Amino acid sequence: MRISFRLPDLSLLIGGSVAGLILLCALFAPWLAPYHPNDQELLYILAPPVWSADGSAEHLLGTDSLGRDTLSRLIYGARTAMTVAAAASFGAMILGAFFAHLAGYFGGWVDWIISRTVEVWLSFPPVVLSMLLIIGLGVGTDKVILAIVLVDWTRFCRVLRSEVQVVRGQDYVAFARLIGFSHARVIVKEILPATLPMLITLLSLQMGISVVVEAILSFVGMGVPSDVPAWGQMIADARIDMYDAPWGLALPIFAIFVTVLSFNLFGDGLRRTLDPRHTANRGA
Amino acid sequence: MTERNILHIRDLDISLGTGDKILNGVDLAIAPGKILGVIGESGAGKSMIGSAIADTLPVGLAISRGSIEFDGLTLTDMTAKTRRDLLGRDIGFIPQEPMTALNPTLTIGQQVGRHLARIGIGSARKREQRAIELFTEVGLNRPGELLKNYTHQLSGGMLQRVLIAMAFASNPRLVIADEPTTALDVTVQLKVIDLIAKMREAHNTSVLFITHDLQLAAEVCDDVAVLYAGQIVERGEARSIINEPRHPYSRCLNLATPNLAGPKTRLMILPKAMPSPLERTAMAGCKFTPRCPIAGDLCIGTPPPLSEISAGHRSACHWPERTETITPPPLKADDENTVLGADLVMKATGLGKAYRQHDWLGRVRRVEALRGLDFEVREREFVGIVGESGSGKSTLTKLIVGLEDITAGVLDVVGMDRATTPRERFFDRVQLVFQDPQSALNPRRRIGSLVTQSLECRGSGLSASARKQLAKDLLAKVMLPPDMIDRFPDQLSGGQKQRVNIARALCSNPRLLIADEIVSGLDVSVQAQILELLRELRKQASFSLLLISHDLAVVRHICDRTLVMYRGEIVEQGPVEDIFTNPQHAYTKKLVAAARGNSGLYADATEQEAENEAF
Ligand SMILES: Nc1ncnc2c1ncn2[C@@H]1O[C@H](COP(=O)(O)OP(=O)(O)OP(=O)(O)O)[C@@H](O)[C@H]1O
Ligand code: SF4
Ligand SMILES: [Mg+2]
Repeated sequence: MRISFRLPDLSLLIGGSVAGLILLCALFAPWLAPYHPNDQELLYILAPPVWSADGSAEHLLGTDSLGRDTLSRLIYGARTAMTVAAAASFGAMILGAFFAHLAGYFGGWVDWIISRTVEVWLSFPPVVLSMLLIIGLGVGTDKVILAIVLVDWTRFCRVLRSEVQVVRGQDYVAFARLIGFSHARVIVKEILPATLPMLITLLSLQMGISVVVEAILSFVGMGVPSDVPAWGQMIADARIDMYDAPWGLALPIFAIFVTVLSFNLFGDGLRRTLDPRHTANRGA
Repeated sequence: MTERNILHIRDLDISLGTGDKILNGVDLAIAPGKILGVIGESGAGKSMIGSAIADTLPVGLAISRGSIEFDGLTLTDMTAKTRRDLLGRDIGFIPQEPMTALNPTLTIGQQVGRHLARIGIGSARKREQRAIELFTEVGLNRPGELLKNYTHQLSGGMLQRVLIAMAFASNPRLVIADEPTTALDVTVQLKVIDLIAKMREAHNTSVLFITHDLQLAAEVCDDVAVLYAGQIVERGEARSIINEPRHPYSRCLNLATPNLAGPKTRLMILPKAMPSPLERTAMAGCKFTPRCPIAGDLCIGTPPPLSEISAGHRSACHWPERTETITPPPLKADDENTVLGADLVMKATGLGKAYRQHDWLGRVRRVEALRGLDFEVREREFVGIVGESGSGKSTLTKLIVGLEDITAGVLDVVGMDRATTPRERFFDRVQLVFQDPQSALNPRRRIGSLVTQSLECRGSGLSASARKQLAKDLLAKVMLPPDMIDRFPDQLSGGQKQRVNIARALCSNPRLLIADEIVSGLDVSVQAQILELLRELRKQASFSLLLISHDLAVVRHICDRTLVMYRGEIVEQGPVEDIFTNPQHAYTKKLVAAARGNSGLYADATEQEAENEAF
């Protein structure tokens, strides 16, 4: 793969750096956060952020109704969101890519079965499906990840399958078969390198989606356990004091918004940068 | 000839931002009702002439000198708006790729309707009427239904007719046709050409006909301009330029094209490639010097003017009279009498193939692609397969190489039954050269890894350096420099890619090589290189070749025998000379007539053909 970055894509740049920043927050949460996310300071209940009239520098973004530091909870929330998003997206990608390559490569009845399964799967609204799954599986970070994988692998499968079909139609794939490459080898050596850019792009977009799903599940109390800080949970907690302490609600929503936006921008930028049509036109 | 010219291009230069010229001092004129051909190889700048008139030059290119006059109006001085009004109404376009010129998400009717509205037909009912009228005029059946169809429901030939109908809709005074037939089958090609000629007669339209096909240009054009490296090198009456060229480049092109009649000769091979715009800037004299067989000292420093050598015939060469001294390389003694081996490399008896198609519900439908084929290929024999698209040529190759399963009859390949012998036994002995090198070479592999790919999955026991050496040897066989092994396919020209494609197939010393349309889409000079290469390889290596081609002259040039396929069956087979001089089957007759440019035989078949093309 030779990708020319002559014109660095703006959305790739912005999306990538913001997403990278969030990932860093998640990785180094224990060192970055000023307090433990679950430490309560009952003297400082619903403290406003530092920039409002009676805010204090001790709690930069204020505290919630239990006196927990909002900034620390946001940072640890990023950790939860990123863990879930990364694990779930990778899981969904591997599952989806596996079936997509099978369906797109072999075609015929293999394709028929996989495609029909995906269609049936997709006919359920994703959030409802994941809630049903959580009810069945029980609550827990690993359960949330599993639920997202089971719901979202179809997204990968559907998009990648047609991509695989296109590559499969290329003569170099037929040639590889002709000189005795096994099916597995053809898929790994000839097809996967061509679908990889699309795979990476989808992965980035899926990260954004997973963050939203995790937030929704946590919001309705079906996500991560209550002792794990999560953005969705913060929104749910802050709802009650919405009028007294609007910041408690706005900040986690803003965090989700920025995260999703950055991953989408990054994914979009990737798609454009990795698009072979972009690079193939050189010298034409 | 005293009439005013419809189109007059004067001293036109098109330059890149850097100042390098894509077109250099092009002077052209078309009289009313005449067809002017512009011929030349890929990259000569042919399409740029059309783009300059249509005001669709790619970004970064601009007209830097000269003017374009249309019917007394100077296009290059007009405001964008007046010019746009003129285009499509007074100037029509027939594009190169019918498939990409139309929008797949709209019906034909919607698109034609839009065009008709643009040229000023107000009411929807009148537009439909006119569309039906036009479709009938270009020989499309059931025009009413066609209007409701989408592009994918029409064949390439039908789409091209739709576009021709649109181009002529407003009775324009000038039509620009950029390689209107390159994407089509021979038999369809001829119909499209006939159609353009007919429309020109009916409407007295002038046509600017851009093509790389000399024979075709001789056929349809009144006058011809030969373009090389952005300059016109010869201009004049079509027949005399094609048959008695007075410029070395035209002569070389002519000698590089295989003929259907006359004695077989070797094809002329032009060394090197056409200079790029950048290289041209650095050349002081004639741009053809590095490739010209008769170049002298004068040519390097002094550019030859495009001077008149006889009435209406101009040539840009210092010594136009020496053109005739250029002759094709003589046949070598060992060229003609290749000794065929006694063994059969392939034998088909009652061979057939039916496809099973699954629909949405998993129901199965059978489509018969091949029926009852009987033929043999001997050792070292070169056999051609001709036939139109959809006649089953490619299916046959897939059966032979084992990409598809045989459903009827027996196919013996290199002495083994294709259906019962394990696949592995054929891998080294049968190789396929794919049609489109763009698609056949994985763009993510380097040339070195591509040509030795067949060794990859079987322990060849070769060290990395031995493999590298083998790659270099293979490249040498197809006359490519060894340092290419580290390049990627898209850093190679079309002809170079095709040679890599051939080298790769030779890697395992196959006994049978199958070549599917490997020279279609290549420039005349590149095609000549590949054809001569195949003939050369035949002497060194001992393989049989099955060459699939729509071009009968190509088959005649390198094959001993030919099979003619039509709708899944072999309708005729025999030695090339016999088949092409004395065809027996009606379809072969039609094919040969089409290739000879004799459209007379053809008119009656048009109706029923169009019917068949529909779906
Ligand atoms: N967008 C562009 N920017 C720079 N150079 C270009 C661009 N498009 C074409 N060229 C150059 O202009 C020259 C003429 O191109 P043009 O498309 O007119 O060739 P052509 O004779 O029509 O070839 P073909 O037979 O392949 O269609 C080529 O050298 C090409 O590399
Ligand atoms: S001017 Fe010289 S180099 Fe150019 S075509 Fe004539 S002989 Fe060849
Ligand atoms: Mg062109």
